[in-house]
Amino acid sequence: MPPEPRAITFRNAEGRQLFGTLHAPAVRRPDLPAIVLFSPGAKMRVGPGRLYIPLTEVLTDLGYVVLRFDVFGLGDSEGELEESLLVDVYSNIQVGRYVADGIAALTWLKREEGISRYIVGGLCGGALTGLLVAERELGIEAILSFGMPVTLDSDSAIPSKYLTRHDLAQLRRGYLAKLFNPEAWLRLLTFRSDLGTIFRSVVAGVTDRLRRSGGTGGAARTATLPPEQLANVNPLFPTAYFSFLGRGGRALMVFSEKDRMLGDWREKFVDLYPEQMRRFAPQITEHVVAGANHVLSERAWQQEMHEVARRWLGALPRP
Amino acid sequence: MSTANEVPFFFTRERTRLFGLFHDPVGAPSSIGFVLSHPFAEEKLWSHRVFVSLARALASRGHPVLRFDFTGAGDSDGSTAHASLETHIADLSSAVTALIGRRPELGRVGLIGLRFGASIAARVMEMAAEDAAPSVLRTAPLVLVDPVLDGAGYLQEVLRGNLSAQLATHGKVIETREVMTERIRAGGVVNVDGYEIGRSLLESVGVPDLVSLHPKAHDGPVLVVSIAQPGKPAKPHPALDSLAGAYAEGERREVLEHQFWREIKQFYGRASNLQALTLDWLGAHAA
Repeated sequence: MPPEPRAITFRNAEGRQLFGTLHAPAVRRPDLPAIVLFSPGAKMRVGPGRLYIPLTEVLTDLGYVVLRFDVFGLGDSEGELEESLLVDVYSNIQVGRYVADGIAALTWLKREEGISRYIVGGLCGGALTGLLVAERELGIEAILSFGMPVTLDSDSAIPSKYLTRHDLAQLRRGYLAKLFNPEAWLRLLTFRSDLGTIFRSVVAGVTDRLRRSGGTGGAARTATLPPEQLANVNPLFPTAYFSFLGRGGRALMVFSEKDRMLGDWREKFVDLYPEQMRRFAPQITEHVVAGANHVLSERAWQQEMHEVARRWLGALPRP
Repeated sequence: MSTANEVPFFFTRERTRLFGLFHDPVGAPSSIGFVLSHPFAEEKLWSHRVFVSLARALASRGHPVLRFDFTGAGDSDGSTAHASLETHIADLSSAVTALIGRRPELGRVGLIGLRFGASIAARVMEMAAEDAAPSVLRTAPLVLVDPVLDGAGYLQEVLRGNLSAQLATHGKVIETREVMTERIRAGGVVNVDGYEIGRSLLESVGVPDLVSLHPKAHDGPVLVVSIAQPGKPAKPHPALDSLAGAYAEGERREVLEHQFWREIKQFYGRASNLQALTLDWLGAHAA
């Protein structure tokens, strides 16, 4: 039986009290780093649908010490966020608001538990915060990422503006499924549907078909991306990612098939950096959970994610 | 500067480990404490900071406050697949005991609940009122924010979340709520946003009178709060009026707030109107 989890508190650099839980395995493995899971978006340390609860059990069963904690202004932690819109909370996370809190968590682990090697990660904004901390903290050896965002959220007046081909293909399938739905036709004919997005998805479908028939590959896909579609790329991401990989870091990049993060990752990052991606390929493991949504809500999707994480962790080099 | 110490801890209900966070006011505390009763599933996470803000505001006024996670929620043990009305009632009762354990001198413990959490609070208060044994709940204030009265309708609303997920992942509905309900009755579970709904929850909560409108035994002050949404016309709430009228000292009030327990555009660090109403009302009724 693993020991009981411990409810813990620690202070960040500004003196705010942060709350978390520390989970230890039945038998401690000094050869393993600790794993720190960062809160995703505006949700607290358990993650949406309590995603982190079974994940924590899987990780402690493997012998890892796991820390989950709330960053300031969210969950149980001290502090007040001034934003009135959720999108602004997300945007601030994406530019590194919680890096200092992440460093405070690692400092606490070192001081209280004597642990100085780490794997960091989480879902969405939690994964990104982990990466931005990893760029700075040399003790971080690997990133366990689920649905990593490579773009900045935006409260644009045209939300469809930044859609990738992956997103448009998903939308197109949805539209096709509604072809014989009278309500959908009524919405279309009374101009309540997003005609611009429908048009773009159809055009993207035609160009995809033409490209496939021409036998062109990913490079052509990159070339056809209109500049405005790349305008929401997070400029912090490539620097942090390649800096971390450049010092030998490893990354598990898990994406959900039905999540826009997958299209963003491939079309707004991987395709743009082919040379670096080739160079660091041995350090990157990518996995797509078929059919899954952003928060991996179904048990089968979670179990697949757990199995992938288990295999990846088992293959990481030991000191 | 904080006016309360905030202490996270685990406590147990039978063999289930529950997470609690005790807001312990600095200085001489009030003789009235509060336990907050959160809503079900993802509504708990969306409304979390509203609860945190309210707990801090109450503690700053000298009230010891306990926030906690029900079985299958937050950091507590278990899964919603095995939860039921009974486990929720037992959890909240255990939380009251845990608060008394931290502050034995408390004379009364009020309950404040939101949505399904409000329904549980109402049930626990009523059970204490009907029990002959002395209780810190008797005559204590009760605040019910948008309580769920019709459990059957509520669970159908919960299952609608699965329909939305089907549309997002399959582009169409492949399993209707009727089929889902039958599957649960047959012993299966249905996943809604990561929370599994099982037979014990369906059968115990899925009743039309989760909170009945019959006259209540609880003889403390009761505030029933309806939420009016900004920019939308006010609606009558005859059922909530009846519920307030079922208590000897009940009243219904309405506040303007977005539905902060759902995913909306706004970030809700606190529900200012709801918090102001609650604190003002408690100031007048929990002295």
